[in-house]
Amino acid sequence: MRDKTHLEQVERWAEHVRDNPEWKKQVKSFLDSQIIIANRFYKKLAETSEGREKLKLLGKLR
Amino acid sequence: MKREVDDKTILERFAEDFARIIEKYANYIIVSGFVAIMHGRSRGTEDIDMIVEKLSFERFFELHKALIEAGFECMQSAKAEIIYKDYLVNGDSVRYTRIGEFLPEMEIKFAKDSLDEHQLKTRQKLDFTGMNVYFSSIESNIAFKEEYLKSDKDLEDAKHLRIIYKDKINEEEIGKIKKEIKRLRMKSEE
Repeated sequence: MRDKTHLEQVERWAEHVRDNPEWKKQVKSFLDSQIIIANRFYKKLAETSEGREKLKLLGKLR
Repeated sequence: MKREVDDKTILERFAEDFARIIEKYANYIIVSGFVAIMHGRSRGTEDIDMIVEKLSFERFFELHKALIEAGFECMQSAKAEIIYKDYLVNGDSVRYTRIGEFLPEMEIKFAKDSLDEHQLKTRQKLDFTGMNVYFSSIESNIAFKEEYLKSDKDLEDAKHLRIIYKDKINEEEIGKIKKEIKRLRMKSEE
């Protein structure tokens, strides 16, 4: 387990989510941005000279 | 109506579009990290884990074809025969993405034992998520995370789910599933 304050934050956030139906609006951009940023990165990587080979190693290309 | 669609995350849209195809051919459940995320865990994930009932090759061939027609591709191979014989029937997972996209991925594998069958049998749509897909029960998710997966992230996911479903969790069911995990999954790894 990570340190005490980390676990306290997990508890605090879970209670917030349980008591606030609006929680999804608060995390939507956070969740989406991870996918958008990663896809943008992989697409740029694919355009570089060794990018496709690296993506194969990462299991992102057939 | 448009607002409803816009309110959904990329992960939700991906999961619902994918599951809509799968459910025409097989029973399935979404398990693990995505379950926690759809209950508000503020952490990222690259893939969504799905367990699908074991299918014959002919049935899987039709399913794979439908996924391709719906705009998905499999990272392991384009050929249904390779996906089925080299991966799925050996207990290995395969990953599908939308064509031309790297993420998100749907990681699918066939149900492999009575524990997976039990999860499929007790699958649920979870109102809290607002999603039209089937999940493994909250009790299953907590049991797997606490007894089998056990990383910091998994233990925190379990803690989060326990708080969300406080006073609604069937501890006896969690105990039964943990026993089965020990019997079926942990003995074979010793």
